[in-house]
Parts: sequence; structure tokens; C-alpha cells
Amino acid sequence: MAIPHPRDIQVAVVDWLDERYPFTKAVDEALYQRVPNFANAFYYCFGGMVFILIVFQLLTGVLLAMYYIPDATGNPAPAYNSVLFIQNDVYLGWLIRGVHFWSANLLIIMVLLHMARVYWTGSYRAPRELNWIVGVLMLLIVLFLSLTGYLLPWDTKAYFATEVTIKIAGSAPPAWLGAAIREVLQGGPVVGPPTLQRFFTLHVFVLPAVIVLLMYVHFRFIRAHGISEPL
Amino acid sequence: MSEKEINKEGPGATVAAPKEVQIIELDGHGGHTLEPEWKRLPIGPDHILYSVVVGLALFPILMGDAGHHLADDMPDEDTHPFFPDHFWPYPIIAVVMLIAVGLLSAFVQKNLQLETSADPRATTIPRPDWYFLFLFQFLKLGPELIMSLVIPPVVVGAFLLFPFIDAIAGPRLAHRLGWKSWPVPGRNIITGTIFVLALVYIAFLTLWALAGPEFCLPYFTGPVCGA
Repeated sequence: MAIPHPRDIQVAVVDWLDERYPFTKAVDEALYQRVPNFANAFYYCFGGMVFILIVFQLLTGVLLAMYYIPDATGNPAPAYNSVLFIQNDVYLGWLIRGVHFWSANLLIIMVLLHMARVYWTGSYRAPRELNWIVGVLMLLIVLFLSLTGYLLPWDTKAYFATEVTIKIAGSAPPAWLGAAIREVLQGGPVVGPPTLQRFFTLHVFVLPAVIVLLMYVHFRFIRAHGISEPL
Repeated sequence: MSEKEINKEGPGATVAAPKEVQIIELDGHGGHTLEPEWKRLPIGPDHILYSVVVGLALFPILMGDAGHHLADDMPDEDTHPFFPDHFWPYPIIAVVMLIAVGLLSAFVQKNLQLETSADPRATTIPRPDWYFLFLFQFLKLGPELIMSLVIPPVVVGAFLLFPFIDAIAGPRLAHRLGWKSWPVPGRNIITGTIFVLALVYIAFLTLWALAGPEFCLPYFTGPVCGA
């Protein structure tokens, strides 16, 4: 039996896959869509930089979650100790935590620059209004991610910053509504271990999932609209 | 059972009485009485915003009009495929950014240092991260309820619906108001002015807060200081 040429194997595999789902067509559409040349201007890259930073955040976040303990009972709390452990003992833990921290700061700057570019080139105008709304929602989620992530080290400044935030949210009138908001965010009469669990859940499971979904919607919209011409 | 033994665990745990916190010089530059001139800048090289300021200053200088006429054979009205012609800079940008955040985490670890483990009975005036400073400062400028739960949601709502506001409050509105002509074709000077003024106001509030608790400005209700 003759040994088949590698290219024939490749063709056979791709054909087999294409009979089940139009993979080749999907990849072609994704990779080879035409982009206008004016989109080479440097200010069109901020959105891509935001995407790259979110990927950094997801990767370093997974690594941090392997050592982080979302437990605030006791003093010093296991959560606090686990962050110290990541920072001081885990191999390259300081680097992973540092990249997570600095990427988060850079992310907010890049989101704002991207937004400024969208505003400047008038890319929010018809027919792109819905994509602007998706973008603003993602900006809010990035801010909520920063807010929830700030509490996780469970040190003094994180604790009191969160306490102030919850107090403001809980001062909503009427009184029963404010109390309900505070109860939901706090999980008890004061900021304590249940609060950390809730913020951890939001920071690690809920908000990243939502932002990844919205990013997909954002990109589908861009593909549908094409890149807007500068004014 | 003495009071100290009652509560050693849990968020309300007794810890050694909050020690007199030594005031460490903000720039971490103890020991020197004479400081170099550059240390007196409001945002010195060890400030969290320093890299941002330098980056923002350098970016347009380094980039200039880069990319706009990257290649003579790429006229503006033509197109190129997404992969690889449009895609190739991004892996390079990713590596550059990874190196940048890696260097920041290696050399600016001060911002990552933890304070003591949370103790609900400590008395600390929290100062939020830089991107919430403007909101923090804004809260001081009026009744708390209005400044925290009325104005910000309204602003966020207006921001979400900005494309529609922009479409309505533009030439269409000017026509109805009986303007003879529109000064800047393609731009909306009404919403644009509001947008830019809002950004300037946010920047102003942030700088006000950054200037510190000793920096106070007169206000209707008396002097208001930074954070």
C-alpha cells in the first residue's frame, strides 16, 4: 500500500469536516473580509488593544484563581493570605498578579481612548447606534469588574472602599429598596465573608461571561457594518 | 473571659489595637531632606498615573500620522484583506503591551502592596482607584442622594442613548430653531460641546481629587478639598 501524501490527508480531513459544517467558508469569511485602507490609521487600533488586554485579563485571571481563596473569615483572612502567597511565594506569582493589575488599569485607559476615537470619527451614528450601546454596556461591565476585583485582596482599603460603595447603593429611596439592595450586595448586615463570596462570583463567573458574549456581539456588528469612514 | 478572647475569628475580630500608623512619605523617599526638583511634580515617576501621562504624551509624538500613509500602494479609497494585511500589527502590539505591563509589575510594585487584612473597626477614609476619583469628588459637591443616585444614572442613560440624542439635537434642531446655516458640516456642535465639556469636567474633578486633602477650592457650601 502506497503511503498517502500529507497534502492528500489534509484535503481528505478538510473535506470530511466541510461536509458536516461549512468550516472553510466560515474561516474565509472571518479572515479575508476586505478592510478599507483608511482603517490603517493608528487610532483605529485602540479597540484591538482593548481586546488583547481582555485576553491578558482572562489568562492571568485563570492563573490567579488557581491560588486565590475567596474566604474572608478570620483575621488575617485566608483571602488576604492567599493574595500574599501569590505575591511572595508562588513562582512568578508577582508577575501574574502584576500583569492582571496593570492590564486592568491600561484596559480602562484603552477603553476610554477607543470610545474617544469612536466619537471623533462619528462611528456611533446610524446605522451603528446599537453597537455604541453594546460598547457602553461593556464599559460599565469593565468598571464593575474593577469594582468587584478591588475587594478580592480583602485588605483595609479594599474593605472600606467597598463599604462606601455599598452604602451609596443602599441609600436609594424608598428605605426598603435601599435595604434590599444592600442585603443583596452584602449578604448580611455588614460587609463580611458573604460579600466577598458574592463579589468573587461576579468577578470570576458572571461579568467575564457577559463581557465575552457582548464582545462577540460587538464584533458581529462591526463585521456587518464595516469600518466607518472618518468624518 | 476577657473581651479580647471573645472574638478572635470573623470579620469583627479583635486585632491588636490599630497601631499608630507611621506617616510614610508619599514618594517613599525617606532619609533625604533635600529632594530633587522633579520629585515635587504633582505626578512624580513613582506615581500610579505617571506611566499613563508619559504614554499619552509620547503616543502621538511616536505615532504621528503613522499608518495613514503607511504604504504608497495603499490609497485611502481602496481595501485590503483582514488577514494578514490588517491583522499583522496586532501580535506585535500584544507583545509590546505584555512587555510594558510586565516591566510595570516588576518596577512599580508599590501599587500592588497590600495594607493590613481588613478590619471593620479600623477607621480609614478610603480613596478609590483613579478611575472612580471623579465620582468620589463629585459626591462632595451636593446632597449625597442627588449626586450619587440621581445624576450618575441619568448621565449613564444619556450616554447609552447618545447616538439618538446626537441625531435629534443637531442640524434638525437647528432647523426648527430657525438657524440660517450650520457652522461645521459633518459635526454636531451642540452635543459635541456638551460631550467635550463633560470630559473636561471629569478631568478637572479627577485632578482636584488627586491634588490631595490640603488642596481646597471655594464652593457654594464652603471650601471643598481633594481626596
